[in-house]
Amino acid sequence: MTFGDTSTDEVSEAWLLALRSEPSPLFKARLRERLHAQEPAADTPMDWPRRALFVVAALTVGAVVIAVPGVRASVAQFVSLFRVVNVVGVPLDPSRLDRLRAEHLDIGTLVGEHVQVLQDPGDPVPVASLADAGAAARMTLATPQWLPSNTQVMETAVMGERAMRITADSHRLQQVMDALGINDLSVPAGLDGLVVDVRVPPVVMIRYDHGNRRRTRLFQARTPQLTLPARVDVPALGEIGLRILGLPPLEAKQFAQAIDWHTTLIVPVPPNATSFRQVDVSGHRGVLIQHQPRDQSPTTTIVWSTPERVFALVSIQQASEALAMASSVR
Amino acid sequence: MALVQVLPRRLAGWIATEPDWDEVYAAELPRVLNFFRYRLGHDTEAEDLTARTFEKAWRARHRYRRDLAGLSTWLLTIARHVAIDHLRTQQRHETLNAAAAVPSPEHTPEHLVIQQSDAQRLAGLLATLEPRQRELIAMKYGAGMTNRAIAQATGLSESNVGTILHRAVEVLRGRW
Repeated sequence: MTFGDTSTDEVSEAWLLALRSEPSPLFKARLRERLHAQEPAADTPMDWPRRALFVVAALTVGAVVIAVPGVRASVAQFVSLFRVVNVVGVPLDPSRLDRLRAEHLDIGTLVGEHVQVLQDPGDPVPVASLADAGAAARMTLATPQWLPSNTQVMETAVMGERAMRITADSHRLQQVMDALGINDLSVPAGLDGLVVDVRVPPVVMIRYDHGNRRRTRLFQARTPQLTLPARVDVPALGEIGLRILGLPPLEAKQFAQAIDWHTTLIVPVPPNATSFRQVDVSGHRGVLIQHQPRDQSPTTTIVWSTPERVFALVSIQQASEALAMASSVR
Repeated sequence: MALVQVLPRRLAGWIATEPDWDEVYAAELPRVLNFFRYRLGHDTEAEDLTARTFEKAWRARHRYRRDLAGLSTWLLTIARHVAIDHLRTQQRHETLNAAAAVPSPEHTPEHLVIQQSDAQRLAGLLATLEPRQRELIAMKYGAGMTNRAIAQATGLSESNVGTILHRAVEVLRGRW
Protein backbone atom coordinates (compact mmCIF):
# COMPACT_ATOMS: atom_id res chain seq x y z
CA MET A 1 0.00 0.00 0.00
CA THR A 2 1.14 3.49 -0.62
CA PHE A 3 0.27 6.47 1.38
CA GLY A 4 1.00 9.15 -1.14
CA ASP A 5 4.10 10.90 -2.27
CA THR A 6 4.98 13.09 0.64
CA SER A 7 7.85 12.51 2.96
CA THR A 8 8.62 14.78 5.86
CA ASP A 9 10.57 14.83 9.05
CA GLU A 10 7.78 15.72 11.32
CA VAL A 11 4.15 14.91 11.73
CA SER A 12 2.14 17.91 10.77
CA GLU A 13 -1.47 18.21 9.79
CA ALA A 14 -0.54 19.03 6.23
CA TRP A 15 1.62 15.96 6.05
CA LEU A 16 -1.18 13.80 7.33
CA LEU A 17 -3.53 15.20 4.72
CA ALA A 18 -1.01 14.65 1.98
CA LEU A 19 -0.79 10.97 2.79
CA ARG A 20 -4.10 10.36 1.15
CA SER A 21 -4.13 8.86 -2.30
CA GLU A 22 -6.58 8.27 -5.11
CA PRO A 23 -8.32 4.94 -5.64
CA SER A 24 -6.81 2.85 -8.37
CA PRO A 25 -8.62 3.12 -11.72
CA LEU A 26 -9.21 -0.62 -11.66
CA PHE A 27 -10.90 -0.56 -8.26
CA LYS A 28 -12.92 2.47 -9.28
CA ALA A 29 -14.14 0.82 -12.45
CA ARG A 30 -14.96 -2.50 -10.81
CA LEU A 31 -16.94 -0.99 -8.00
CA ARG A 32 -18.83 1.23 -10.39
CA GLU A 33 -19.68 -1.84 -12.41
CA ARG A 34 -20.92 -3.65 -9.30
CA LEU A 35 -23.13 -0.76 -8.32
CA HIS A 36 -24.57 -0.42 -11.80
CA ALA A 37 -25.29 -4.12 -11.80
CA GLN A 38 -27.59 -3.57 -8.84
CA GLU A 39 -29.79 -1.19 -10.78
CA PRO A 40 -32.71 -1.45 -10.73
CA ALA A 41 -32.86 -2.78 -7.20
CA ALA A 42 -36.21 -4.37 -7.79
CA ASP A 43 -35.82 -6.91 -5.03
CA THR A 44 -34.85 -4.41 -2.39
CA PRO A 45 -37.42 -2.93 -0.05
CA MET A 46 -37.35 0.77 -0.55
CA ASP A 47 -38.38 3.90 1.10
CA TRP A 48 -38.32 6.08 -1.92
CA PRO A 49 -41.37 8.19 -1.88
CA ARG A 50 -41.56 9.02 1.76
CA ARG A 51 -40.33 12.48 0.97
CA ALA A 52 -41.58 12.54 -2.54
CA LEU A 53 -44.98 11.53 -1.40
CA PHE A 54 -45.28 14.88 0.23
CA VAL A 55 -45.60 16.41 -3.16
CA VAL A 56 -48.95 14.75 -3.26
CA ALA A 57 -49.98 13.74 0.19
CA ALA A 58 -48.18 15.97 2.60
CA LEU A 59 -49.11 19.02 0.69
CA THR A 60 -52.66 18.02 1.09
CA VAL A 61 -52.11 17.79 4.79
CA GLY A 62 -50.26 21.06 4.65
CA ALA A 63 -53.32 22.44 3.01
CA VAL A 64 -55.31 21.35 6.01
CA VAL A 65 -53.06 23.31 8.26
CA ILE A 66 -52.74 26.39 6.22
CA ALA A 67 -56.00 26.27 4.41
CA VAL A 68 -58.73 24.06 5.74
CA PRO A 69 -61.22 23.84 2.92
CA GLY A 70 -64.31 25.93 3.31
CA VAL A 71 -67.66 24.56 4.13
CA ARG A 72 -69.84 27.42 3.08
CA ALA A 73 -73.50 26.78 3.70
CA SER A 74 -73.35 23.12 4.42
CA VAL A 75 -75.62 21.98 7.21
CA ALA A 76 -74.01 18.61 7.58
CA GLN A 77 -71.74 18.18 10.54
CA PHE A 78 -69.10 16.47 8.46
CA VAL A 79 -68.55 17.16 4.84
CA SER A 80 -65.99 15.74 2.49
CA LEU A 81 -64.91 18.70 0.52
CA PHE A 82 -61.44 18.70 -0.73
CA ARG A 83 -60.77 17.92 -4.36
CA VAL A 84 -57.62 19.14 -5.96
CA VAL A 85 -58.38 21.04 -9.11
CA ASN A 86 -55.86 23.83 -8.98
CA VAL A 87 -52.31 23.87 -7.78
CA VAL A 88 -50.86 27.16 -6.63
CA GLY A 89 -47.30 27.83 -5.54
CA VAL A 90 -46.62 30.05 -2.56
CA PRO A 91 -43.03 31.02 -1.77
CA LEU A 92 -41.88 30.00 1.66
CA ASP A 93 -39.92 32.52 3.69
CA PRO A 94 -37.22 30.49 5.45
CA SER A 95 -36.64 33.21 8.02
CA ARG A 96 -40.11 32.48 9.38
CA LEU A 97 -39.13 28.92 10.12
CA ASP A 98 -35.90 30.09 11.69
CA ARG A 99 -37.84 32.35 13.99
CA LEU A 100 -40.12 29.52 15.00
CA ARG A 101 -37.17 27.26 15.70
CA ALA A 102 -35.59 29.98 17.79
CA GLU A 103 -38.77 30.06 19.85
CA HIS A 104 -38.82 26.25 20.06
CA LEU A 105 -42.00 26.28 18.02
CA ASP A 106 -41.32 23.72 15.37
CA ILE A 107 -44.60 23.72 13.49
CA GLY A 108 -44.37 20.11 12.49
CA THR A 109 -43.89 18.98 16.04
CA LEU A 110 -46.61 21.20 17.36
CA VAL A 111 -49.13 20.02 14.83
CA GLY A 112 -47.79 16.49 14.91
CA GLU A 113 -48.72 16.29 18.54
CA HIS A 114 -52.28 16.20 17.35
CA VAL A 115 -52.01 13.74 14.50
CA GLN A 116 -53.31 10.23 14.87
CA VAL A 117 -52.28 7.81 12.17
CA LEU A 118 -55.29 5.70 11.32
CA GLN A 119 -53.70 3.73 8.55
CA ASP A 120 -49.98 3.44 7.98
CA PRO A 121 -49.07 2.57 4.42
CA GLY A 122 -45.75 1.06 5.41
CA ASP A 123 -42.78 1.18 3.14
CA PRO A 124 -43.17 1.47 -0.61
CA VAL A 125 -43.18 -1.82 -2.39
CA PRO A 126 -41.34 -2.27 -5.68
CA VAL A 127 -43.47 -3.90 -8.35
CA ALA A 128 -42.45 -5.65 -11.51
CA SER A 129 -44.55 -3.78 -14.00
CA LEU A 130 -46.79 -0.80 -14.57
CA ALA A 131 -49.75 -3.14 -14.66
CA ASP A 132 -48.87 -4.48 -11.24
CA ALA A 133 -48.52 -0.94 -9.94
CA GLY A 134 -51.91 -0.03 -11.33
CA ALA A 135 -53.48 -3.08 -9.75
CA ALA A 136 -51.88 -2.35 -6.39
CA ALA A 137 -53.04 1.25 -6.50
CA ARG A 138 -56.45 0.29 -7.85
CA MET A 139 -56.27 2.65 -10.80
CA THR A 140 -55.24 2.67 -14.42
CA LEU A 141 -51.90 4.38 -14.51
CA ALA A 142 -51.40 7.49 -16.53
CA THR A 143 -48.05 7.61 -18.27
CA PRO A 144 -46.21 10.12 -20.44
CA GLN A 145 -46.99 9.64 -24.09
CA TRP A 146 -43.86 11.58 -24.97
CA LEU A 147 -40.48 10.65 -23.60
CA PRO A 148 -36.99 11.91 -24.39
CA SER A 149 -35.01 9.60 -26.62
CA ASN A 150 -33.26 6.66 -24.96
CA THR A 151 -35.64 6.70 -22.04
CA GLN A 152 -36.06 3.54 -20.01
CA VAL A 153 -38.36 2.73 -17.13
CA MET A 154 -35.99 1.82 -14.32
CA GLU A 155 -38.23 1.30 -11.34
CA THR A 156 -41.86 1.22 -10.33
CA ALA A 157 -43.14 1.15 -6.78
CA VAL A 158 -46.32 1.67 -4.82
CA MET A 159 -46.97 3.08 -1.41
CA GLY A 160 -50.21 2.01 0.21
CA GLU A 161 -53.11 4.05 1.43
CA ARG A 162 -52.57 6.37 4.31
CA ALA A 163 -55.12 7.81 6.69
CA MET A 164 -54.81 10.15 9.61
CA ARG A 165 -56.85 12.29 11.94
CA ILE A 166 -55.75 15.76 12.92
CA THR A 167 -57.12 17.57 15.91
CA ALA A 168 -56.76 21.32 15.81
CA ASP A 169 -55.22 23.16 18.75
CA SER A 170 -55.97 26.86 18.76
CA HIS A 171 -53.54 27.50 21.62
CA ARG A 172 -50.66 26.12 19.62
CA LEU A 173 -51.65 28.10 16.58
CA GLN A 174 -51.78 31.24 18.67
CA GLN A 175 -48.27 30.50 19.94
CA VAL A 176 -46.99 30.26 16.39
CA MET A 177 -48.72 33.48 15.41
CA ASP A 178 -47.29 35.27 18.43
CA ALA A 179 -43.80 34.03 17.62
CA LEU A 180 -44.09 35.37 14.11
CA GLY A 181 -45.58 38.66 15.19
CA ILE A 182 -48.90 38.02 13.47
CA ASN A 183 -50.89 40.26 15.76
CA ASP A 184 -53.47 41.62 13.36
CA LEU A 185 -55.27 38.30 12.90
CA SER A 186 -57.16 36.10 15.32
CA VAL A 187 -57.48 32.37 15.54
CA PRO A 188 -60.94 31.52 14.15
CA ALA A 189 -63.52 30.71 16.79
CA GLY A 190 -64.45 27.09 17.16
CA LEU A 191 -61.16 25.81 15.86
CA ASP A 192 -60.03 24.11 19.03
CA GLY A 193 -60.72 20.41 18.99
CA LEU A 194 -61.80 20.43 15.39
CA VAL A 195 -61.11 17.06 13.80
CA VAL A 196 -59.97 16.65 10.23
CA ASP A 197 -59.73 13.22 8.64
CA VAL A 198 -57.32 12.85 5.76
CA ARG A 199 -57.16 9.84 3.50
CA VAL A 200 -54.48 9.61 0.85
CA PRO A 201 -54.97 6.82 -1.69
CA PRO A 202 -51.99 4.71 -2.79
CA VAL A 203 -49.21 6.54 -4.58
CA VAL A 204 -47.37 5.12 -7.57
CA MET A 205 -43.88 6.15 -8.56
CA ILE A 206 -42.33 5.45 -11.95
CA ARG A 207 -38.67 6.26 -12.41
CA TYR A 208 -37.30 6.94 -15.87
CA ASP A 209 -33.70 7.16 -16.93
CA HIS A 210 -32.98 9.26 -20.00
CA GLY A 211 -29.23 8.66 -20.15
CA ASN A 212 -26.48 11.20 -19.57
CA ARG A 213 -27.47 11.47 -15.92
CA ARG A 214 -30.91 12.78 -16.83
CA ARG A 215 -33.76 11.14 -14.99
CA THR A 216 -37.34 11.68 -13.97
CA ARG A 217 -39.70 10.34 -11.37
CA LEU A 218 -43.43 10.57 -11.89
CA PHE A 219 -45.72 10.26 -8.87
CA GLN A 220 -49.47 9.89 -9.10
CA ALA A 221 -52.34 9.24 -6.75
CA ARG A 222 -56.07 9.52 -6.78
CA THR A 223 -57.12 12.79 -5.26
CA PRO A 224 -56.90 12.76 -1.46
CA GLN A 225 -60.05 13.01 0.61
CA LEU A 226 -60.59 15.32 3.53
CA THR A 227 -63.50 15.19 5.91
CA LEU A 228 -63.97 18.00 8.34
CA PRO A 229 -66.50 19.84 10.45
CA ALA A 230 -68.56 22.53 8.83
CA ARG A 231 -68.09 25.39 11.21
CA VAL A 232 -64.79 27.07 10.50
CA ASP A 233 -64.05 30.36 8.86
CA VAL A 234 -61.80 28.80 6.30
CA PRO A 235 -60.58 31.90 4.46
CA ALA A 236 -59.54 33.32 7.83
CA LEU A 237 -57.62 30.16 8.66
CA GLY A 238 -56.13 30.12 5.20
CA GLU A 239 -54.99 33.70 5.60
CA ILE A 240 -53.17 32.74 8.79
CA GLY A 241 -51.53 29.88 6.98
CA LEU A 242 -50.36 32.12 4.18
CA ARG A 243 -48.96 34.59 6.68
CA ILE A 244 -47.10 31.78 8.44
CA LEU A 245 -45.56 30.85 5.11
CA GLY A 246 -44.39 34.42 4.78
CA LEU A 247 -46.84 36.21 2.50
CA PRO A 248 -47.20 39.94 3.24
CA PRO A 249 -50.44 40.85 5.06
CA LEU A 250 -52.25 42.47 2.14
CA GLU A 251 -51.27 39.79 -0.31
CA ALA A 252 -52.28 37.04 2.10
CA LYS A 253 -55.67 38.65 2.67
CA GLN A 254 -56.39 39.10 -1.01
CA PHE A 255 -55.16 35.62 -1.84
CA ALA A 256 -57.18 34.03 0.95
CA GLN A 257 -60.35 35.73 -0.22
CA ALA A 258 -59.81 35.02 -3.89
CA ILE A 259 -58.83 31.40 -3.67
CA ASP A 260 -61.32 28.54 -3.76
CA TRP A 261 -60.17 26.53 -0.81
CA HIS A 262 -62.35 23.62 -1.87
CA THR A 263 -60.26 22.87 -4.86
CA THR A 264 -56.85 24.42 -4.50
CA LEU A 265 -53.70 22.70 -3.35
CA ILE A 266 -51.16 25.10 -1.89
CA VAL A 267 -47.62 24.14 -2.77
CA PRO A 268 -45.06 25.83 -0.53
CA VAL A 269 -42.12 26.75 -2.74
CA PRO A 270 -38.97 25.80 -0.86
CA PRO A 271 -36.25 28.30 -0.07
CA ASN A 272 -33.77 26.67 -2.40
CA ALA A 273 -35.99 27.24 -5.42
CA THR A 274 -34.37 29.33 -8.09
CA SER A 275 -37.69 30.06 -9.74
CA PHE A 276 -41.29 28.99 -9.83
CA ARG A 277 -44.20 29.75 -12.10
CA GLN A 278 -47.71 28.67 -12.82
CA VAL A 279 -47.93 26.42 -15.85
CA ASP A 280 -50.61 24.90 -17.98
CA VAL A 281 -50.33 21.13 -18.10
CA SER A 282 -52.68 19.93 -20.80
CA GLY A 283 -55.33 22.37 -19.70
CA HIS A 284 -54.76 21.85 -16.00
CA ARG A 285 -53.24 24.45 -13.75
CA GLY A 286 -49.99 23.46 -12.16
CA VAL A 287 -46.84 24.88 -10.68
CA LEU A 288 -43.31 24.42 -11.99
CA ILE A 289 -40.48 24.85 -9.52
CA GLN A 290 -36.82 24.91 -10.44
CA HIS A 291 -34.26 24.41 -7.77
CA GLN A 292 -30.69 23.30 -7.34
CA PRO A 293 -30.05 21.73 -3.97
CA ARG A 294 -26.51 21.63 -2.73
CA ASP A 295 -24.45 18.90 -4.43
CA GLN A 296 -27.32 17.99 -6.66
CA SER A 297 -28.17 18.62 -10.26
CA PRO A 298 -30.67 21.31 -11.24
CA THR A 299 -34.09 19.84 -10.69
CA THR A 300 -37.49 20.69 -12.06
CA THR A 301 -40.60 19.75 -10.14
CA ILE A 302 -44.06 20.07 -11.66
CA VAL A 303 -47.15 19.52 -9.55
CA TRP A 304 -50.55 19.44 -11.21
CA SER A 305 -53.87 17.71 -11.01
CA THR A 306 -56.79 16.46 -12.98
CA PRO A 307 -60.24 16.10 -11.44
CA GLU A 308 -59.41 12.56 -10.44
CA ARG A 309 -55.71 12.55 -9.78
CA VAL A 310 -52.75 14.48 -8.43
CA PHE A 311 -49.39 14.29 -10.17
CA ALA A 312 -45.87 15.32 -9.38
CA LEU A 313 -43.03 15.02 -11.84
CA VAL A 314 -39.52 15.47 -10.48
CA SER A 315 -36.95 15.66 -13.21
CA ILE A 316 -33.28 16.27 -13.76
CA GLN A 317 -33.33 17.50 -17.33
CA GLN A 318 -34.35 20.64 -19.18
CA ALA A 319 -37.49 22.21 -17.75
CA SER A 320 -39.00 22.30 -21.23
CA GLU A 321 -38.57 18.55 -21.56
CA ALA A 322 -39.98 17.96 -18.10
CA LEU A 323 -43.01 20.06 -19.00
CA ALA A 324 -43.38 18.22 -22.28
CA MET A 325 -43.38 14.93 -20.40
CA ALA A 326 -45.92 16.21 -17.90
CA SER A 327 -48.15 17.57 -20.62
CA SER A 328 -48.18 14.22 -22.39
CA VAL A 329 -49.31 12.23 -19.35
CA ARG A 330 -52.53 10.43 -20.20
CA MET B 1 -47.64 10.28 7.66
CA ALA B 2 -47.89 13.04 10.18
CA LEU B 3 -47.43 16.70 9.83
CA VAL B 4 -44.36 16.33 11.95
CA GLN B 5 -42.82 14.78 8.89
CA VAL B 6 -43.85 17.67 6.74
CA LEU B 7 -43.23 20.89 8.58
CA PRO B 8 -40.79 22.36 8.95
CA ARG B 9 -37.86 19.95 9.12
CA ARG B 10 -38.84 18.29 5.94
CA LEU B 11 -40.26 21.33 4.33
CA ALA B 12 -36.93 22.40 2.93
CA GLY B 13 -36.52 19.02 1.42
CA TRP B 14 -40.08 18.19 0.63
CA ILE B 15 -39.58 18.30 -3.06
CA ALA B 16 -38.24 14.93 -3.89
CA THR B 17 -34.75 15.09 -5.19
CA GLU B 18 -32.08 12.53 -5.41
CA PRO B 19 -28.34 13.03 -5.60
CA ASP B 20 -26.51 12.59 -8.84
CA TRP B 21 -25.00 9.28 -7.87
CA ASP B 22 -22.34 9.41 -10.54
CA GLU B 23 -21.09 12.67 -9.13
CA VAL B 24 -21.36 11.36 -5.61
CA TYR B 25 -19.36 8.31 -6.56
CA ALA B 26 -16.59 10.33 -8.15
CA ALA B 27 -16.39 12.78 -5.28
CA GLU B 28 -16.82 10.47 -2.33
CA LEU B 29 -15.00 7.31 -3.32
CA PRO B 30 -11.52 8.66 -2.49
CA ARG B 31 -12.70 10.02 0.83
CA VAL B 32 -14.30 6.78 1.91
CA LEU B 33 -11.36 4.70 0.72
CA ASN B 34 -8.87 6.91 2.52
CA PHE B 35 -10.95 6.75 5.65
CA PHE B 36 -10.54 2.99 5.66
CA ARG B 37 -6.85 3.24 4.84
CA TYR B 38 -6.24 5.39 7.86
CA ARG B 39 -8.65 3.44 9.99
CA LEU B 40 -7.43 -0.07 9.15
CA GLY B 41 -4.20 0.35 7.27
CA HIS B 42 -4.70 -2.37 4.74
CA ASP B 43 -5.39 -1.64 1.10
CA THR B 44 -7.28 -4.79 0.28
CA GLU B 45 -9.50 -4.48 3.31
CA ALA B 46 -9.95 -0.80 2.64
CA GLU B 47 -11.17 -1.53 -0.86
CA ASP B 48 -13.46 -4.31 0.32
CA LEU B 49 -14.98 -2.16 3.00
CA THR B 50 -15.27 0.81 0.66
CA ALA B 51 -17.18 -1.38 -1.75
CA ARG B 52 -19.37 -2.60 1.09
CA THR B 53 -20.06 0.97 2.15
CA PHE B 54 -21.11 2.09 -1.31
CA GLU B 55 -23.27 -0.96 -1.80
CA LYS B 56 -25.01 -0.32 1.49
CA ALA B 57 -25.46 3.33 0.60
CA TRP B 58 -26.80 2.43 -2.81
CA ARG B 59 -29.35 0.04 -1.34
CA ALA B 60 -30.35 2.61 1.27
CA ARG B 61 -30.30 5.62 -1.01
CA HIS B 62 -34.04 6.09 -0.72
CA ARG B 63 -33.71 6.49 3.00
CA TYR B 64 -31.15 9.23 2.76
CA ARG B 65 -32.61 12.40 4.22
CA ARG B 66 -30.94 15.57 3.12
CA ASP B 67 -32.54 17.50 5.92
CA LEU B 68 -30.75 15.39 8.51
CA ALA B 69 -27.22 15.21 7.15
CA GLY B 70 -25.08 16.12 4.20
CA LEU B 71 -24.37 13.34 1.80
CA SER B 72 -20.69 13.10 2.75
CA THR B 73 -21.56 12.81 6.41
CA TRP B 74 -24.18 10.21 5.64
CA LEU B 75 -21.73 8.12 3.64
CA LEU B 76 -19.01 8.40 6.25
CA THR B 77 -21.49 7.40 8.92
CA ILE B 78 -22.17 4.23 6.97
CA ALA B 79 -18.44 3.73 6.49
CA ARG B 80 -17.85 4.17 10.18
CA HIS B 81 -20.39 1.48 11.03
CA VAL B 82 -18.92 -0.81 8.41
CA ALA B 83 -15.52 -0.34 10.03
CA ILE B 84 -16.88 -0.99 13.49
CA ASP B 85 -18.59 -4.16 12.32
CA HIS B 86 -15.45 -5.27 10.57
CA LEU B 87 -13.23 -4.68 13.57
CA ARG B 88 -15.68 -6.41 15.81
CA THR B 89 -15.79 -9.41 13.52
CA GLN B 90 -12.11 -9.62 12.91
CA GLN B 91 -11.13 -8.94 16.50
CA ARG B 92 -7.95 -7.50 15.28
CA HIS B 93 -6.53 -4.24 14.17
CA GLU B 94 -4.51 -4.22 11.04
CA THR B 95 -1.53 -1.96 11.12
CA LEU B 96 -0.10 -0.09 8.25
CA ASN B 97 3.08 -2.12 8.57
CA ALA B 98 1.83 -5.01 6.56
CA ALA B 99 0.38 -2.78 3.96
CA ALA B 100 3.51 -0.73 3.75
CA ALA B 101 5.52 -3.83 3.08
CA VAL B 102 3.67 -4.36 -0.18
CA PRO B 103 5.56 -2.40 -2.80
CA SER B 104 3.72 -0.36 -5.34
CA PRO B 105 4.82 -1.06 -8.90
CA GLU B 106 4.07 2.51 -9.79
CA HIS B 107 6.96 3.98 -7.88
CA THR B 108 10.71 3.95 -8.13
CA PRO B 109 12.70 1.94 -5.55
CA GLU B 110 14.17 5.11 -4.10
CA HIS B 111 10.79 6.71 -3.77
CA LEU B 112 9.41 3.51 -2.40
CA VAL B 113 11.99 3.41 0.35
CA ILE B 114 10.98 6.87 1.47
CA GLN B 115 7.33 5.98 1.26
CA GLN B 116 7.76 2.74 3.11
CA SER B 117 9.64 4.54 5.75
CA ASP B 118 6.93 7.11 6.17
CA ALA B 119 4.22 4.50 5.99
CA GLN B 120 5.92 2.25 8.49
CA ARG B 121 6.46 5.03 10.92
CA LEU B 122 2.93 6.28 10.51
CA ALA B 123 1.57 2.76 10.75
CA GLY B 124 3.32 2.23 14.01
CA LEU B 125 2.12 5.50 15.37
CA LEU B 126 -1.48 5.11 14.26
CA ALA B 127 -1.56 1.64 15.76
CA THR B 128 -0.58 3.06 19.13
CA LEU B 129 -3.46 5.50 19.22
CA GLU B 130 -6.55 4.78 21.18
CA PRO B 131 -9.35 3.46 18.96
CA ARG B 132 -11.34 6.66 19.24
CA GLN B 133 -8.32 8.77 18.39
CA ARG B 134 -7.53 6.65 15.41
CA GLU B 135 -11.10 6.75 14.20
CA LEU B 136 -11.17 10.51 14.39
CA ILE B 137 -7.77 10.78 12.71
CA ALA B 138 -9.14 8.60 9.91
CA MET B 139 -12.19 10.81 9.55
CA LYS B 140 -10.19 14.00 9.67
CA TYR B 141 -7.13 13.14 7.62
CA GLY B 142 -8.33 10.14 5.67
CA ALA B 143 -11.78 11.36 4.75
CA GLY B 144 -11.05 15.05 5.04
CA MET B 145 -14.08 15.72 7.20
CA THR B 146 -14.51 18.91 9.15
CA ASN B 147 -14.71 18.77 12.92
CA ARG B 148 -18.36 19.67 12.66
CA ALA B 149 -19.08 16.81 10.27
CA ILE B 150 -17.18 14.42 12.52
CA ALA B 151 -19.19 15.62 15.46
CA GLN B 152 -22.39 15.03 13.54
CA ALA B 153 -21.33 11.55 12.48
CA THR B 154 -20.06 10.44 15.88
CA GLY B 155 -22.42 12.22 18.22
CA LEU B 156 -19.53 13.92 19.98
CA SER B 157 -19.53 17.64 20.52
CA GLU B 158 -17.50 19.68 18.09
CA SER B 159 -15.21 20.90 20.84
CA ASN B 160 -14.71 17.35 22.03
CA VAL B 161 -13.76 16.30 18.52
CA GLY B 162 -11.25 19.14 18.36
CA THR B 163 -9.76 18.15 21.68
CA ILE B 164 -9.39 14.49 20.80
CA LEU B 165 -7.84 15.33 17.45
CA HIS B 166 -5.45 17.81 18.99
CA ARG B 167 -4.27 15.27 21.52
CA ALA B 168 -3.94 12.57 18.88
CA VAL B 169 -1.82 14.79 16.66
CA GLU B 170 0.28 15.77 19.65
CA VAL B 171 0.85 12.09 20.38
CA LEU B 172 1.86 11.45 16.80
CA ARG B 173 4.11 14.47 16.72
CA GLY B 174 5.75 13.56 20.01
CA ARG B 175 6.46 10.04 18.92
CA TRP B 176 7.59 10.81 15.39
